[in-house]
Amino acid sequence: MIEFKNVSKTYPGSTKPVVDGLSFEVLDGEICVLVGPSGCGKTTSMRMINRLIEPSSGQILIDGEPNTAMSGTKLRRKIGYAIQQIGLFPHRTIADNIAIVPQLLDWDKSRIKSRIEELLELVGLEPGQYRGRYPAELSGGQQQRVGVARALAADPPIMLMDEPFGAVDPINRSRLQDEFLRIQQEIRKTIVFVTHDIDEAIKMGDRIAILKEGGVLAQYDTPEEILTNPASNFVNDFVGKDRILKRLSLLRVGDMDLDPANGNGEGLPTLSDRLTVRDALSELMGAGVGRGVVQGDGDERRLLTMESIEALTKGARA
Amino acid sequence: MNGILEVLRRGGFGQLLLTHIELSVLALLIGIAIAIPVALAVNRSPFWSAVAINIGNIGRSVPSLAILAFALPIFGLGFVPSLVALAALAIPPILINASTGLRQVDPKIVDAARGMGLSGRQILTGVQIPIAAPIIFAGIRTAAVQVVASATLATFIGGGGLGDLIVEGFQRNDIYIQLAGALSVAVLAIITELGFGFLERAFTPKGLKVARKRRGK
Repeated sequence: MIEFKNVSKTYPGSTKPVVDGLSFEVLDGEICVLVGPSGCGKTTSMRMINRLIEPSSGQILIDGEPNTAMSGTKLRRKIGYAIQQIGLFPHRTIADNIAIVPQLLDWDKSRIKSRIEELLELVGLEPGQYRGRYPAELSGGQQQRVGVARALAADPPIMLMDEPFGAVDPINRSRLQDEFLRIQQEIRKTIVFVTHDIDEAIKMGDRIAILKEGGVLAQYDTPEEILTNPASNFVNDFVGKDRILKRLSLLRVGDMDLDPANGNGEGLPTLSDRLTVRDALSELMGAGVGRGVVQGDGDERRLLTMESIEALTKGARA
Repeated sequence: MNGILEVLRRGGFGQLLLTHIELSVLALLIGIAIAIPVALAVNRSPFWSAVAINIGNIGRSVPSLAILAFALPIFGLGFVPSLVALAALAIPPILINASTGLRQVDPKIVDAARGMGLSGRQILTGVQIPIAAPIIFAGIRTAAVQVVASATLATFIGGGGLGDLIVEGFQRNDIYIQLAGALSVAVLAIITELGFGFLERAFTPKGLKVARKRRGK
């Protein structure tokens, strides 16, 4: 667990704090997304966890211990770190890039080697093909995968990720996000994830900390709660006018409580139960009918109607 | 042609060539020994880096002959004063390239290195120096060629070297002696250029060559 205790940061020569009295907890195994407009101190907050930046006041505890209990370099070797421009070392091969932290920790060679194989497979890069290549020989998306693998190399319990999927096109970004969520299902790391993109925050976060200018915490909650009950006008504006639709993207139609279609399904569009409610709504509107049939791998056919979708959004009118 | 060869076969030629090479190699080594540590020392501070680069630029704009002329009243005549002057000549290009090279390493790469827990020294030796190596070597090559060419002027303050031949040729109005001196210096400079070009490529990490080739496409 990571605890921020009344953490503030004011840079020398400035009177305005960039982070102001920040207090919240990141629970083990959760992705906590720090999100907000530029100048809200989200990156500064993240960088104070591994002491790339030292707070002016307040304390950050990791598993109950102040993060100042050991030297900065020693601390950083225990915390995974992935950044937007990836920062792969251009003069080292993919394998050597991933090996950096294990080498700093004096792992023996065979252990490092097998760890590299394991990680490349985890992020979907065939080890035999990519191990010996150089960063310049990889596409942007592949480099980001290596960036994630490198951050995971020494199997740190905590990972810091600063817009790790920021440098790729939207389609690849969405794919990387899905892949990473799948990986997180397996590895269950405690992750602090920085983004300026509220959609990414909603998709990736178990919990979201919305910061506003001057580094003040505006709301810290689950995506569901933030979309249903924004704590202030600032949060309401920041999540956007389509917050009801965004909420629908948190739920899959397969998880909805729907009636069996019985004989009523004739001539209606069939929708996969893996679709988010938002995407299903889009399909229904595209088909020009207010109803559709939800079907998964099995034979069960259930009826999705506009009314059943509206029932979900009740109590959260914009 | 035969006239030139005759000069080259003269007993004194070997000694002049040796002095020229000695002067150049020692001056270059001293230049490296001063410029590289200074560049490493100022690396962390943008202010002192800028100071170093500016001093380097000023130093580079002073003509070689002027530097040799300065050495004369201060250090007198002979080999050592020439060496001091040539070393002073070697410093600016090495200092400029090493300082800019180290500073030009992408700050995101340095940030990632720091974030993973590399110490300042590990970042310098494992990240900044290898990435800056081609630029640092280009500076050394520029300095080397300049020193080899300028060592010809050492003759004016009694430093010896192949410049002696050229001056002797003028004094005796002997075109063969002049040409023998001039051609040897030219060949020596070209060999230096090619040799350091080879070293520069050899010390460029493979990953950077790959990156350069990709960008070129």
